[in-house]
Amino acid sequence: MTLNAQVRTRLGSLHLDCDVSIESNITVAVLGPNGAGKTTLLRVVAGLLPIDEGRVEVNGTVFEDTATRTWLTPEARRVGFLFQDHGLFPHLSVLDNVAFGLRARGVDGRTANARANEWLERVDLVQYASSRPSALSGGQSQRAALARVLVTDPQALLLDEPLAAVDASARLDLRRALREHLATFAGVRLIVTHDPLEAASLAERVVVLEDGHVTQDGPFAEVSSRPRSAWIARMAGLNLLHGAVSSGAMLLDDGSSLTVATDVQGPALATIQPRAVALYRRAPDGSPRNVLRCTVDGIDPEGDRWRIRLTGQFPLVAEVTPAAAADLRLAEGGEVFAVVKATEIDVYSV
Amino acid sequence: MTRGVTRRPLIGLVIPAAVAVLFIALPLIGLLAHVDWSTLPSQLVSTDVLTSLRLSLECSIIAVAIALVIGVPLAYLLARTSSPGRRVLRGLVTLPLVLPPVVGGIALQTAFGTTTPIGTVLQHVFGIVLPFSTAGAAMAEAFVGFPFLVITVEAGLRSRDDHYEEVAATLGARPWRRFWRVTMPLAAPSIAAGAALCWARALGEFGATITFAGSFPGTTETLPIAAYSSFEGSGQVGEAITLSLLLLAISILVLVVLRDRWLGALR
Repeated sequence: MTLNAQVRTRLGSLHLDCDVSIESNITVAVLGPNGAGKTTLLRVVAGLLPIDEGRVEVNGTVFEDTATRTWLTPEARRVGFLFQDHGLFPHLSVLDNVAFGLRARGVDGRTANARANEWLERVDLVQYASSRPSALSGGQSQRAALARVLVTDPQALLLDEPLAAVDASARLDLRRALREHLATFAGVRLIVTHDPLEAASLAERVVVLEDGHVTQDGPFAEVSSRPRSAWIARMAGLNLLHGAVSSGAMLLDDGSSLTVATDVQGPALATIQPRAVALYRRAPDGSPRNVLRCTVDGIDPEGDRWRIRLTGQFPLVAEVTPAAAADLRLAEGGEVFAVVKATEIDVYSV
Repeated sequence: MTRGVTRRPLIGLVIPAAVAVLFIALPLIGLLAHVDWSTLPSQLVSTDVLTSLRLSLECSIIAVAIALVIGVPLAYLLARTSSPGRRVLRGLVTLPLVLPPVVGGIALQTAFGTTTPIGTVLQHVFGIVLPFSTAGAAMAEAFVGFPFLVITVEAGLRSRDDHYEEVAATLGARPWRRFWRVTMPLAAPSIAAGAALCWARALGEFGATITFAGSFPGTTETLPIAAYSSFEGSGQVGEAITLSLLLLAISILVLVVLRDRWLGALR
């Protein structure tokens, strides 16, 4: 069972142009900033939005193919869509909400209610069967919406920011519960999120979507340690540099050069952990080290590590202890020397 | 937030405002003052009054039914389509709101009168004569009342987008099922309010009805027409006042039922 989508479509200022292939039985997260086209991609797969050009196929069934003018209506696609606001019908009881999909597909009332009840038991909401959705908490309404989708036995499960409508304090528990529920569904599981933490904890594979294009694809650990875009580097808390390597030196796009220890040759990306950036008031000597004259642009105290934003040849973030920051008498606009060991620069091919 | 100096009312506006209140209140007080409370019960149950009341209820309920059947679909299309002709269409629909009712009655006569093509077909093929009939009175009331329903329902539908219809579609519901199980139930409060407004307007309708359907006791003489005839023609002011009181009571009832919808927004 797989989902294949080649999508080329324009929607306002968004130009979605991506090819994704999603295998079943693992959870795949589409991760990206707001406005990148993540939700649009889900809506395309669900049939809520026709595309200009491309093809969408799930488990061998062609949902849409602009080349052959194939188009299946959303109700014919059997795709489970968990909406960001959960989309529970306010005028129906929780039980009627969960039974809605079965009734819509012609299941008789008694059978539909019995199966809906079974699912309410599974998600621990039986006591709310006759309540209106407005009586549910964010987490409960998410579980009700999930039950409503899963009871119809969909071919694929699409989740749009499943934890966005839940307050932060409840998110940790909900994430765990959601992961357990997701694991019971054996088909294609595609989840959209802008939160790397959510992607890391819910998904085995991450597809990074930025400005309508896939910029990276792989396990979260790989994506976050070897970012290929500024956005994902920032999300992972890393400094990302673009350039080209030749004989132990990386020539950056801005013309400056860094000493690196790598076998990689040619166009490359490099990351530097903020805590690997050491700060000095006076230029130290010794090598193989890179010494950069910088200006302090901003100081963000975060617990026992302060993040120091630096400008110079290129922007850089360093992490120091509050004590060290005081020792260095760091102040916005002040001058400082940033030192990075060659071995602390992780270089990889573009 | 504390009230600023600019929120203090201008004393000079109190006098015209007081005049406005009296302007509305005095006629009502006058009406109540002229009610002969001793004969009121017997007048209320007199055959004439009961006949017009029954006719009024009949015609206004038929008018609301007509408005629901044709008005709700129109409201739906106005709310959910974005065709360029929509503004013109909405203007056309709301025209009866500002059109003098007499003009509406004359216009109905010119379209459905017995000598018109439509009127001829209705009369000879279906055996229906609209002018000066109860059906004609109901039609005139529907003509004047149904814009209220269309406008209210359209606003109700427009206040939500089609999100729940999308949800229903992904759950496997076909378009008609979505309409009946999702769109209509969610629009129910605005449909009820629109129907109540339409009904109140139909019940009080005078100009279009008397022009198109005349004033025949038992056939087209509804409460407002009966009130006018007894006041103007037979000089039975007492009966006119009784009928007016009845209409006033119904108006207040509608106002009470809809108070949250109307006054809620102003609170």
